[in-house]
Amino acid sequence: MTGSDSSSSPVAQAPRQTAPPEVGLAELFLLFSQLGLSSFGGAVSAWMHRAFVEQRGWLGETEFAAALALSRIMPGANVANLAILIGQKLRRWPGAVVAVLGLLTGPSLVVIGLAVLYRHYAGNPVIDAALEGAAAAGVGLLLAMGVRSGSAVVGRGPLAGRRAVYVIGAVVILLATFVLIGVARVPTVAAVGVLAPLSIALAYLTGTGPPADEP
Amino acid sequence: MNDDGKIIALILVFAPLSLVSIGGGPAILAEMQHQAVTVQGWMTQREFADLFAIARAAPGPGMLLVTLIGWHVAGWLGVVAVSLAFFLPSSLLVLAVAQVWTRWRGTRLHGAIEAGFAPLAVGLVFAGGLAILATGQTGALAWGVALAVTAARIWRPKLQPLILLALGAALFALVRAVGW
Repeated sequence: MTGSDSSSSPVAQAPRQTAPPEVGLAELFLLFSQLGLSSFGGAVSAWMHRAFVEQRGWLGETEFAAALALSRIMPGANVANLAILIGQKLRRWPGAVVAVLGLLTGPSLVVIGLAVLYRHYAGNPVIDAALEGAAAAGVGLLLAMGVRSGSAVVGRGPLAGRRAVYVIGAVVILLATFVLIGVARVPTVAAVGVLAPLSIALAYLTGTGPPADEP
Repeated sequence: MNDDGKIIALILVFAPLSLVSIGGGPAILAEMQHQAVTVQGWMTQREFADLFAIARAAPGPGMLLVTLIGWHVAGWLGVVAVSLAFFLPSSLLVLAVAQVWTRWRGTRLHGAIEAGFAPLAVGLVFAGGLAILATGQTGALAWGVALAVTAARIWRPKLQPLILLALGAALFALVRAVGW
């Protein structure tokens, strides 16, 4: 990088370079295990912010914000992505491995334990009914999330000019995704492979940034 | 199918899905259901919906349905295989992109990628919900509960997911117990 590179903002050029205190891998594993197991229904990233930025000061605000933004854009479970990026920052690739293992191992064991119980009791009509009800409610949670993100895509404010083009195009892409994958059962990889470039091009050409309504 | 075949099938199904799970696990729910129930015949629709419910009720990063499918199909080896297949590709990708990320961040392309993925993620979530519900077996009650929970969460975003899951479970159990 040369001295004439003036494109980056001052914030990006001055990340908190105070190297974090040597964090033990075992400590990292335990910390991520705790975060994974105590996270019911989301908000894990908020807990990670508290643990790594506020309480321990191992990461600067800018570093954390950059990692959070990246983990949301990239495919994969957002929380796992964030854990990997934080682990990598603290202890290189062993840190990344330990972070994601810590995050996933505990919850995986819990959920497998629940599944063992399920196998034991499957066939009991009341248990079966209860699970069916929980699945229906689980779909409701999912749909609520979809409605919230969907309204963030549409946004508020007058539908005019470039914004109108983007919003109409985005709604078409949203519906096309739903119909192709949910109704016509087109393979997800193929449908996303076609629709994602179109959707990104639409956002790029209309100069649209990310939806503002992120939690 | 022997066990080796099952492990390979798990990997072949989940590794590509890793790279299209935009916004996380819910994005590939529809495809997981299609593969597990229709294409691979790993389980019935009922079992898939049950595992979905169990995964929703557990703590953690929300991708545990993947783990459960691996476990259901091939035990502990299945868990390891499916976890590697699902988490490794996206993890390597995010680490690679992180190397160039600081130069990207704040550019028009970055904003466009984030904005461009948003409608896809929403469409995928709705497709996933439909894949659980619209299978002929679940009746009007399931749709009613799903829509009621949707409305409740939109109306009161702070309502605890676990409480809503428990209410749905209790309602169904009650209806079954009185022999509807």
